[in-house]
Amino acid sequence: MAFSAMKEKYSSQVHTVVLGATKEEGGTRDYTITVGGEGALPFLHFEGEVPHRPVVALEVWDVVPEWHESLAPYFGDVYNDPAAWAKKCVMEYNADLVVLRLKGADPDVADASPEDCAKVVKDVLAAVGCPLIVLGCGNPEKDSKVLPAVAEATSGEKLLIGVADQENYKSITAACIVHNHNIIAGSPIDINICKQLNILITEMNLPADRIVIDPTTAALGYGLEYGYSIMERARIGALQGDKMLAMPIICNVGHEVWRSKEANASSEDYPAWGDQANRSILWEATTAAALLQAGANILIMRHPKALALVKQNIEELMVPTSFDD
Amino acid sequence: MDKVTVLFTPDNVAVQVEPGTSLLQAAGLAGISLVSSCGGDGTCGRCLVKVEDGHVRVAETGNLSKKAKQSGLVLACQSFVESNVVIGIPSMSRLTEHQVLLDENQLMEEDIGTDEGFFFRPLCRVVELTLSPPTLAENVADWERLQTALRNVIDCSDIRISLPVLRRLPELLRTDDWRVTVIVAQMNDCAEVVDIAAGHVQKELNLYGLAIDIGTTTVAINLIDLKSGLPVGQKGSYNRQASFGDDVISRIIHASEASGGLPELQSAVISTINDLVAELLQLSNIDAHDVRMVTVAGNTTMTHLFLGLSPKYIRLEPYIPLAASTPAVRASELGLNINPAAYVVCFPSVASYVGGDIVAGTLVTNLAQEERIILLIDIGTNGEMVLGNKDWLVTAACSAGPAFEGGGITFGMRAMKGAIDKIKVDPATFDVQVSTVGRCKAQGICGSGLINCLATLRAVGIIDRTGKLQTDLSTPRLRQGDDGWEFVLVYGNDTAHGRDIVITEHDIKNLMRAKAAVYAGIRSMLQAVQLTEDMIDCVLIAGGFGNCLNIRDAITIGLLPDLPTEKYRFIGNSSLKGARLALISQQAWQEAQLLGSKMTYLELSAGNEFMDEFMSALFLPHTDMTRFPSVTNLK
Amino acid sequence: MALTGLEIFKQLPKTNCKDCGHPTCLAFAMALASGKTSLDKCPHISEEAKETLGAASAPPIALVKVGTGDSVVELGDETELFRHDKRFYHPTAIAVLVEDTENIADRVAEINDLNFDRVGLHYEIDMVALQCVSGNVDTFKAAAEQVAANTNKAMVLICEDVAVMEAAATAVADRKPLLYAATNDNYEAMTALAQKLECPLAVKGNGLDNLAELVDKITKLGYKELVLDSGNRETSQVLADLTQIRRLAVRKRFRTFGYPAMTFTSKDDPHEEVVQASVYVAKYAGLVVVKASKKEEILPLLTWRQNLYTDPQKPIQVEAKAVAIGDVTPDSPVYITTNFSLTYYIVEGEVESSKIPAYIVPVNTDGISVLTAWAAGKLTGEAIAKALEENDMESKVNHKTLVLPGYVAVLSGSTEEATGWKVLVGPREAAGITKFARENFA
Repeated sequence: MAFSAMKEKYSSQVHTVVLGATKEEGGTRDYTITVGGEGALPFLHFEGEVPHRPVVALEVWDVVPEWHESLAPYFGDVYNDPAAWAKKCVMEYNADLVVLRLKGADPDVADASPEDCAKVVKDVLAAVGCPLIVLGCGNPEKDSKVLPAVAEATSGEKLLIGVADQENYKSITAACIVHNHNIIAGSPIDINICKQLNILITEMNLPADRIVIDPTTAALGYGLEYGYSIMERARIGALQGDKMLAMPIICNVGHEVWRSKEANASSEDYPAWGDQANRSILWEATTAAALLQAGANILIMRHPKALALVKQNIEELMVPTSFDD
Repeated sequence: MDKVTVLFTPDNVAVQVEPGTSLLQAAGLAGISLVSSCGGDGTCGRCLVKVEDGHVRVAETGNLSKKAKQSGLVLACQSFVESNVVIGIPSMSRLTEHQVLLDENQLMEEDIGTDEGFFFRPLCRVVELTLSPPTLAENVADWERLQTALRNVIDCSDIRISLPVLRRLPELLRTDDWRVTVIVAQMNDCAEVVDIAAGHVQKELNLYGLAIDIGTTTVAINLIDLKSGLPVGQKGSYNRQASFGDDVISRIIHASEASGGLPELQSAVISTINDLVAELLQLSNIDAHDVRMVTVAGNTTMTHLFLGLSPKYIRLEPYIPLAASTPAVRASELGLNINPAAYVVCFPSVASYVGGDIVAGTLVTNLAQEERIILLIDIGTNGEMVLGNKDWLVTAACSAGPAFEGGGITFGMRAMKGAIDKIKVDPATFDVQVSTVGRCKAQGICGSGLINCLATLRAVGIIDRTGKLQTDLSTPRLRQGDDGWEFVLVYGNDTAHGRDIVITEHDIKNLMRAKAAVYAGIRSMLQAVQLTEDMIDCVLIAGGFGNCLNIRDAITIGLLPDLPTEKYRFIGNSSLKGARLALISQQAWQEAQLLGSKMTYLELSAGNEFMDEFMSALFLPHTDMTRFPSVTNLK
Repeated sequence: MALTGLEIFKQLPKTNCKDCGHPTCLAFAMALASGKTSLDKCPHISEEAKETLGAASAPPIALVKVGTGDSVVELGDETELFRHDKRFYHPTAIAVLVEDTENIADRVAEINDLNFDRVGLHYEIDMVALQCVSGNVDTFKAAAEQVAANTNKAMVLICEDVAVMEAAATAVADRKPLLYAATNDNYEAMTALAQKLECPLAVKGNGLDNLAELVDKITKLGYKELVLDSGNRETSQVLADLTQIRRLAVRKRFRTFGYPAMTFTSKDDPHEEVVQASVYVAKYAGLVVVKASKKEEILPLLTWRQNLYTDPQKPIQVEAKAVAIGDVTPDSPVYITTNFSLTYYIVEGEVESSKIPAYIVPVNTDGISVLTAWAAGKLTGEAIAKALEENDMESKVNHKTLVLPGYVAVLSGSTEEATGWKVLVGPREAAGITKFARENFA
């Protein structure tokens, strides 16, 4: 042998989190999705198990979104029907699961009541058989009212609910414990706060295998590397035995990318940047591909074509590799 | 315009001032020092005084509460005299005499081998000489003759003399048949005959020296008999520069931006020292003329200000002091009221934020002679630390801020009478019992009390690991105050001043930052030399805490590494001890010069490592709880 | 394995002579350990120490240069596996593939046009990779000459037939193209050619084991200007190969793999290609050859490369530009903070949640926080005045009142003096902004 492969010996692995619950498990989902569990750095099959492939979700809103016109051909017909929208994501665009963003709860948007929000969630659950991720509107005060109501109304479904931050984690954690859901713990591009929040949540007695972390990741060109490095550090920490960094990671790719100038600027205004439609798809797909290399487990996408590209990439990366010893 | 009179009560001291003078300035003229953390900017809200009679013009009320304003309280720095007034000074606004750390009771020979290995040979000493009388055949001049005789005794070739002494030489030599007693100052490779007496009169001659520690907050002085090396007395008090701001940064700004700021700060510290020296001399009935040598240890900024050197560039990137080592100067050049020809020498600094006080501490702890790896920490505002052994020494400053000295804490105070140093909280009712220094009514909380407070509040769940008050707990002690959420430690009817003593969430955040800075400093230093905590054999704690700090509490909040408590030692005011050691041992003084250049300074602000460590230390005890097994295993 | 500062220190003279420019031997040792200085700066080091330390401080991956002049592309010389450990130094070069049967002038013009300006940065494609598909000596040579004539960019010549390669490579040898590739079958002749022309040489293996053998054979022939290609093309295998090459070089100092690595995308769909290439940019490729050549395809790839190769040691800064939060009016308040991103974003979040539209003016403090910046003299009345002026705040609002962070209330006087604005002292903690804003601006 002219060379012998160098394989890291890790003492631990990423926690596994099960999303969704079937009828037997107390929910109504057709199937569950398991994320995490990897005992190696991303896709390095030769030195450890990567038991569950990363999954990709598409975004659904409870109100008509003011999205870029290039997304309208894909979703325009269902913008005002979250249930139909969710169905389309799964049936037509092959999303592994659906993210329902309760934007309408925002006092500045529609100020939807917790009850109304819970109803939308139930509608979407009825329309699709996949596990569901539910995100609040981003207003911490409102979310701490809405998310517990959603948790209660969907008790036992093992939703993935978020985003809980340092300010409002208590009420959301308590609701997830009581009603058997998973939680997203969000931190502002800071590995220490990420870990601290995990400690605080687990000390409230929500098991570590019911937490998914959102380390906050910017879009390509907007500081993507900061989140990337934090995720790499968290993954290395997890493999070396740090249980409080070992949660699967969720990344809000579509939301960030579609705020960027590069995704939105028209071909006419920016001819030097090429075609907008393709540029935006690649901006989203490249952001996602980069984050996969840092250890992302769940990617929330927006454009169906970007989703398809990323799924293809994941499939290729999941092909086992080995080196002879 | 005619001068007006300001009468201060309860002191009953009156001063005449120009109208328009601030009450802060007037108090200063009256010899009353007021607390003024911000240096008279109207922002710290500490120099509260009460206008009892007459009228003042109030420019700013800063962050004074309505209640305070209604009761006639004003900020002395922002209120200006217009007519004759009577001003009452509440005790809490007064800079009072307090326990300045002097030493003695802590650390001596048995602990760390202090003084060991250094010969007793003061920087200034008395030598009796018998010269061979000149003859026609052996006709060397008087001075050269004295030099020859001296050289046999003091092991130094470069011997000098001042002109006034030289002028008296011929008669003195011949008065008692070529027998004389000389006083010689000797530093490094140079000696000077500073005085001569006829005959062998060593016994009758008096010779004293001063060892001075100039701290940002306090000044401590040791008066030493240089003939025996024994201390005669010691004194300490607030550094009067405190009126220009609590921390070195405020002082640097005052020195470099205010007109006349530098001489003002210099004379503040000189007058602090002169007053202390005068008291010491009076108490022991010693003539100022007999004090002929002074060693001074202070941080870099204090040393600069003491010598009247501009500290301006210490503060500005890339943080460069004017001088690391400074020349010996005469007492008269500084205005010290001792023998005008006395030499004053300052310990060399290592860098802008690691000064002579740390070099002195390193010297006296014999750190640089140790096989074992020692960590020396001064838990003060600058948070200096030294790590190493006989082979290598690294040093850094973590800028912890004044929280542990009570600065920036609503009811923070030094460890003097009435300071809460320990609390007990009933985990069910959240009732609080406190113990205070001097067992009297509570006035505020001192550093060790604050550390205990943090540990205790966490233990009973009043704060979470991030230091947030758990406002959903049902106790009236948790409430919204002027400064956000707060927890009442002692209600007003049990306090010395009648006000509720509280700890605010803001105070807690300040403490968290201070403790995080110290721990992050230790970690960064260890990482720079790629060592782990458990490789530290001994931790020496110097500075403000003295013995009051409870090591367990400090570990519980993650201020200090989780090492067996027997690895920790308190060494008190090691800066003062180092200054005294150098005063009585030339060898020690030389070693101090070498130490300064032997220490490798780590600039913690370069790179992300310190910041990263700092952020992860902003948690109780720490984000990486595995670093504190003895704390987390308690649960 | 890399030595620690203390381990290096033990081998130094320990005289603290300062001749190396460092205050102590330990400081020098630590600088050496982190690659910030070189051993030759110490004039007093013993021969013995030089030998032991020299080996340990040699770079784990060779620097290989392709091209000449301003267009030279530097590959390799990396020291880390993860950018957060220090940083990555030489960005992955991107080459666009051109076949010798295409219209060379048009294709090269298209590639020359692949340059972009965004956020004040300029990106462009580094190299043109010319592949011989004709199998014809003259065609390939003519194409190479044409590429050279039409662009200054560095070149890769792709041809395993040494005779064909020789004609083209000789013609453009003065441009120092990368010759691709030496293989099991041609390595002796290809190496001799590279050696003769003094051009860098790519080594294409058949898997890593074979690559290692081949590299050893070539270095025995005395040539070391190499770029490594495992020969695999499946995404996950290439990721594994690139990872092994980097790890063995950096962690094990395995000299055989101490060269930059390269690979090719295998996808035909340009979108899939870009995604595939971004994997290789992330994980250790020194050079990636792609077929995609549209602007919208190349811009994301170059942006990702730019992101990844920024220096993570620099404090994260936001642009020192006034930001309007919410629907601002000329009456909106003006908050002052610093351009340290953490500080800025905390303030931004709080101002947002206060629901009172406002301007935030981040003062350029080189990315340090409020108190630190004050202590270091970077947040001063003058600095605030400059920020107000540069952002033309006087024309944006109709008042002259600014909110100063409570921690630097001491700057009130000097700020009012320098700016002519009235200072309103804000809360010390950003968390107090909502309460403060409601009390003062609601």
